[in-house]
Amino acid sequence: MINLIHSLNSLLPLFYGITFLLYLLNFFYEKRGLSLWKRLSLFITLFFHFFYLLIRTLEFKHTPITTVFEIMTLLAFAITISYYIIELVTDVRNTGTFILFLPLIFQTISSFNIKDLLEVKDILRSPYLGFHVFTALSGYAGITFSAIYGLLYLLLYKQIKTQKFGLIFNRMPSLEMLEYLSMVSALVGFVMLTIAIVIGFIWLPQAFTEPSYFDPKLVATIIVWLFYAFGISGKWFFKWSGRKIVYLSITGFVISLFSMSILNLVFTGFHKFF
Amino acid sequence: MNIIAVAINHHTAPIELREALYLQNNEIRDFIREFQSHLTREICILSTCNRTEIYCIPNSLDLTYKEIQNFLLQKKSVQNISPSNFRNYFSCGAVNHLFHIAAGIDSLVIGDQQILGQVKDAFTIAAEENSIGTYLQKVFQSALKVGKRVKTETDLFEGPSSISAAAVQLAAKIFSDLKKKKVLIIGAGETSRLTIQNLKQKDVKNITITNRTLSRAESLANEFNVAVIPFIEFKDVLHEFDIIISATSSPEPLVSKPEIISVMSKRKNQPLCILDIAIPRDFDPAVKDIENVFYNDIDALQVIVNQNLERRQSQIPKIKKIIMEELIELFSWYNSLQISPIIRALREQFEQIRSQEFEFFKNKFLPEQQQNLELLTKRIINKLLHNPTVYLRKSADTLDTQGDLNLRLEIIKEMFNIQNQIKNNDE
Repeated sequence: MINLIHSLNSLLPLFYGITFLLYLLNFFYEKRGLSLWKRLSLFITLFFHFFYLLIRTLEFKHTPITTVFEIMTLLAFAITISYYIIELVTDVRNTGTFILFLPLIFQTISSFNIKDLLEVKDILRSPYLGFHVFTALSGYAGITFSAIYGLLYLLLYKQIKTQKFGLIFNRMPSLEMLEYLSMVSALVGFVMLTIAIVIGFIWLPQAFTEPSYFDPKLVATIIVWLFYAFGISGKWFFKWSGRKIVYLSITGFVISLFSMSILNLVFTGFHKFF
Repeated sequence: MNIIAVAINHHTAPIELREALYLQNNEIRDFIREFQSHLTREICILSTCNRTEIYCIPNSLDLTYKEIQNFLLQKKSVQNISPSNFRNYFSCGAVNHLFHIAAGIDSLVIGDQQILGQVKDAFTIAAEENSIGTYLQKVFQSALKVGKRVKTETDLFEGPSSISAAAVQLAAKIFSDLKKKKVLIIGAGETSRLTIQNLKQKDVKNITITNRTLSRAESLANEFNVAVIPFIEFKDVLHEFDIIISATSSPEPLVSKPEIISVMSKRKNQPLCILDIAIPRDFDPAVKDIENVFYNDIDALQVIVNQNLERRQSQIPKIKKIIMEELIELFSWYNSLQISPIIRALREQFEQIRSQEFEFFKNKFLPEQQQNLELLTKRIINKLLHNPTVYLRKSADTLDTQGDLNLRLEIIKEMFNIQNQIKNNDE
């Protein structure tokens, strides 16, 4: 079993690399054959990744959320399956190039650094923690999607406005669709972050004797959450649309990216208290 | 294959001549009946606004393309037509030409989608008139197969090829569901008509027309079952529309930037697509600076059209390959029709000689040996004929030029003296 886990761990970056390459090629050369192959490749990658996560969980007797590198492989899977669902539901097939490079990076980093952990602290086996991590990851995946779709919206907006009809014009869906995808992703991300924060607040005093509500990551997450609450309220109550709402989404993503990057450089654990 | 095609089309004749020679369906039927009773075994006529083409398999080798041309000109009296207005094709050239038409690469605008349906209609009319036999049926079926393959295996029909279609494509890049959008068409000329046609193809239902001459707007509206508003009122309701397509001949701009700023205010800054197809332009081009206003004029739309036409051109090598594959298949089939009787005659002749010799000699053998003797002679004949049979079949498949193949067949016929046998079999 261990050998199979190690083999899959080595193969997954390759699968993600092939899938990303097929999406990239299909973006530049719109060919029917490539379109079918890229979808098949995405499905196969997801299947093996799911199998890898399953046997890893069974073998090591804990969900892969106990180290940064375990979380990275889970994040790669979460982003990919979310994209797959979006592609199936909307039939928008050409945005994958701009999304699937993320799981490729996360999985590659994870595959090179992940360790076989047989012993983990009891606290990391808590179902609350599993749910907390899952919702937090989904939340950040959602706002990442929102920013990417927002960025594609801006590129397409510019091409139409400046009457330079390039690849983005030819390959992307409509502006309205990109705005919708960005908005829905932000909404899903916001809801997931809300749940992650609520679970964290409930679970924190139960799990730790000296919890801190002023943990930098907690504060950063709440700032990001407030930012998205502001944007969604604007959309809801003041009918903000177009570039205004897209700029907000991208700004929110940049804030979360910088805050988390800086905090990860400064702190080695997930939170100040752990 | 003794097929003749006589064609008059946009490559060879101006529109006046093409119009004059255009045949309605009932005229095609009359033409086929008269022509078939005199001159041909099989005939099929394709007549569209851009071409009138006659494909036939003549009764005798004496029939020339000139007689076909004269027959057409007797039916349709046309002034100032000359032989240079016709193109004549024979055998493989005729089939190749038909395949190019069915593929959509011989059309006035490359990638015309209607032509395949028109080829199919021509074939159906000929079939109903019983003027299609083994050869033309196979030729037209292959042509339709070419058209279908081009549709499924290439991108020839992707993207717009006219300004009005490009306008609709551009609008579809702004709004995800055009069916739910309100469209205003300013102007009631030919461009507006084509634009409405394209919008209707996309199932856009909420279309309104306005025009300085109300009667023209009403006439167009009746044709497409869409709404009309008086020209003097259209500015009051501009904010209600998501897409505005303007194609008037007004010498002055109709709508200014401040007016569109006011419209956007009323629309609460919801996206507005303005497609100005008029020359000179109907909208102040400065409106494109307004947030969420997507203004594109005829030059911008022409860029999209040119991009698509370039892409269509790039598909031609792939399409020519499809045409070549289907030509090979068709002529392999045709060659096999010629080869089969020769193989049959050869085998019959060899069998005749074998059985005669067997009868002559069998009494020199013991009765129990005769069965083995017959088996032995049959095996020898089969072995002797194996290579010639394979050679002939291969000749049909590899599509030698028709002259080469005929020469080989003639040599074999003479060498084995099987001319009479083939005639008897045919009878």
